[in-house]
Amino acid sequence: MPPLLDVQNLQTHFGTIDGVVRAVEGVSFHINAGETVGVVGESGCGKSVTAMSILRLIQTPPGKILFQGRDLLELSEPEMQAIRGKDISMIFQEPMTSLNPVLTVGRQIGETVVLHEGLSAREAEQRAVEMLTLVGIPAPGRRVREYPHQLSGGMRQRVMIAMALACSPQLLVADEPTTALDVTIQAQILELMRDLKTRVGAAIMLITHDLGVVAEMAQRVIVMYAGRKVEEGTVEEIFLNPLHPYTRGLMGAMPKLGSSLHETGRTKLTEIQGQVPSLRKPIIGCAFASRCPGVTDVCRKIAPAIEQKAPAHWVACHYAERAMAAA
Amino acid sequence: MLAYTVRRVIATIPVMLIVALFVFSLLYIAPGDPAAIIAGDQATPDDVERIRASLGLDRPFLIRFTEWLFRVMQGDLGVSIFTNLPVSHMIKQRLEPTYSLMLLTLIIALTFAIPMGVLAAWKQGTWIDRLVMVFAVLGFSVPVFVVGYVLAYTFALQLDWFPVQGYTPIGTSFTGWLSNLMLPAVALGGAFIALIARITRATMLEVLSQDYVRTAKAKGVGQGAILFVHALKNAAVPIITIIGIGFAGLIGGAVVTESVFAIPGVGRLVVDAILRRDYPVIQGVVLMFSFTYVIVNLIVDLLYTVFDPRIRY
Repeated sequence: MPPLLDVQNLQTHFGTIDGVVRAVEGVSFHINAGETVGVVGESGCGKSVTAMSILRLIQTPPGKILFQGRDLLELSEPEMQAIRGKDISMIFQEPMTSLNPVLTVGRQIGETVVLHEGLSAREAEQRAVEMLTLVGIPAPGRRVREYPHQLSGGMRQRVMIAMALACSPQLLVADEPTTALDVTIQAQILELMRDLKTRVGAAIMLITHDLGVVAEMAQRVIVMYAGRKVEEGTVEEIFLNPLHPYTRGLMGAMPKLGSSLHETGRTKLTEIQGQVPSLRKPIIGCAFASRCPGVTDVCRKIAPAIEQKAPAHWVACHYAERAMAAA
Repeated sequence: MLAYTVRRVIATIPVMLIVALFVFSLLYIAPGDPAAIIAGDQATPDDVERIRASLGLDRPFLIRFTEWLFRVMQGDLGVSIFTNLPVSHMIKQRLEPTYSLMLLTLIIALTFAIPMGVLAAWKQGTWIDRLVMVFAVLGFSVPVFVVGYVLAYTFALQLDWFPVQGYTPIGTSFTGWLSNLMLPAVALGGAFIALIARITRATMLEVLSQDYVRTAKAKGVGQGAILFVHALKNAAVPIITIIGIGFAGLIGGAVVTESVFAIPGVGRLVVDAILRRDYPVIQGVVLMFSFTYVIVNLIVDLLYTVFDPRIRY
C-alpha cells in the first residue's frame, strides 16, 4: 500500500532582501495512514517550513508532495482549498494568536464543516458543540458562543484541535502543539491528541523540539538539521541507538530526572556547541560539520548521503558505522 | 452594553456644553461690532447703542450665555439679524440637502474605499496597490472645488449625464435627487475615500500577517472570506475611527461643495451668514454641525463593541 503522504526531494527556498534562504533543502519522507511521525530539530531547521509547504501555506516549492497519490504541488488553489481543513488539517504552536479574536469559537469550528461538508449554520454550531465536548471543554453549549479571549491557553489549544478534527482529516499536521502551554496542560493536550487520533484514525505529523513528546506519541522519528533530514528511524531505534552526532547531541540536551549541568556521567545535561549555520549561503560538506565533535576533513568537503544502516534506521553521517560499533 | 451606551451618551453632554460655550463666544472673539454692522453706515452712535441694547450685547457674558443656552435647549436658536426669521426654521429648511449630500458621500466612500484598501493590502507591492496609493495621494491633494468644477465640466456640461447644479428633494423625485447629488458627492468623497482607503490598507496589512489569518487559510477558507470576514472584521476598529474623525472634513467640504454646485443647504446658509455677520445663524449652524459630529462619533464608539468583542467598558 502506498503511504498516505510521500514527500520527495522538497526544496523550499525564500527570496529575501539578503539573498535566498534555503529553508528546506531536499527533504524526503513518508507518513503512513494512521501513523504518528515525530519531526524533531532545533528552531530554524526547517520543520515548520516543511509543514507549511505540505499545506501550501507558503509559495509552491519544487519537489513532490504526494498525498493519496496526488501531487499537492500541482493542484490549483481551489483544489488545494478543498483539501485544507478536510483531508489535511493543521494545529499551530501559538493558541493565543492562532484563533481569530473577533469571531466566536463556534463560528471558527463550524466554518470548516460549512466549507467542506456543506452544513447549514445551525448544523455547524451543533457540530461545534459536539467537537467541544469531544475535546473535553466543559459547558460546550455556552463556550461555543464565546470568543477566544474568554478562554485560557489550554482551552484555546483544545479549540484548535476541535477545529482541526471537525472534518475527520486523514492527516493532522501539529506544529509544536504544546510548546506554548504549561507543562501540566501539555500532558493533557498530548493525551487528548492520542485519544482522538485513535477515534478519528488520522495520521499525525508531530513537529516538536521536545524529544520526550516524541517518545510518548510517535512511532517513527525524523531528525532535521539545517533544512535537511539527518536521521530517520523507529522511536526505539532512534532513542536506543542514535547514530547521528546531532541526534546524540539532542539526547544529551534532554533533561532527565536528576540531571544537572554540574554532575558528570550519564546524568550530565550537555549542550550542542555553536549555532545552526546560516541558510543564506549554500553549505559545503556536512551541514553539521561546524558543530560536530567528531568532525574530519571529509565532513567539511563532502555532504554525506542518507543511507540505511539498520532495517528501520537511516542516517546521513560519514561515521555512522563507527557510532554503530561503539553502541 | 446598555450601561456603556448610557455612559457614552451622558459623556457627550459636557462636550456639547463646551462646544456651546465656544460657539457663543464667537460673537466676542470675532472682529467687528455686530451692532454697528446691523445699524449700517449712516447710523448715529445712539442708533448703534440702541441696537446693542436690543440684542442684549451690553449685559454680562455669563448671564447672556446662560439665557442663550436655555433657549437653545428648547430649540430656540434666536432670530436672524437679516431675515428676522427664526434660525431653527432657516436651518431646518436647508437640512435635507446637506444631510443628503453627506449620506450619499459616506455611502459612495465606503463602497469604494474599503474594497480599494483591502485589494491594495492583498496585492501589496503590485501595480494594483500602487494605483490605489496614487489615487489616495490625488484624493488628498486636489481640493474639493477643483474636483467639483472638473466633474461638472466633464459629466454635466460635456457629456450631459448629470445636471450642472441645483437640488431636487428626495420626496419629489428619487432619481432627480440622486442625479443632482451624484457629482457633488463624488467630488466631496475624493478626500474621504483616500483617507479611508489608506487606513484600510495599512490596517489590513497588519492583520493579514497575523497567525489567525494563516489558521483560516489552513482550514480551507477562500481568499475572499479570509479578506472580508476574517481580516476585515479585525481591521474594523481603526477604519471606523477614521471615518468618525474624517467626518469633520466632510462637514467642511460640504460647505464648499454646496457653493460649487449651488445646493441650497446649510453650508450655503452659513457662508452667506458669515459674509453678513449674521451671528445667530452662524451660531446655530456651527452648533448643528458640532452636534452632528458628536453624534457620528458616538455611533462610532458604540460600533466598536459590535466589531470587537474584546472592547467592553
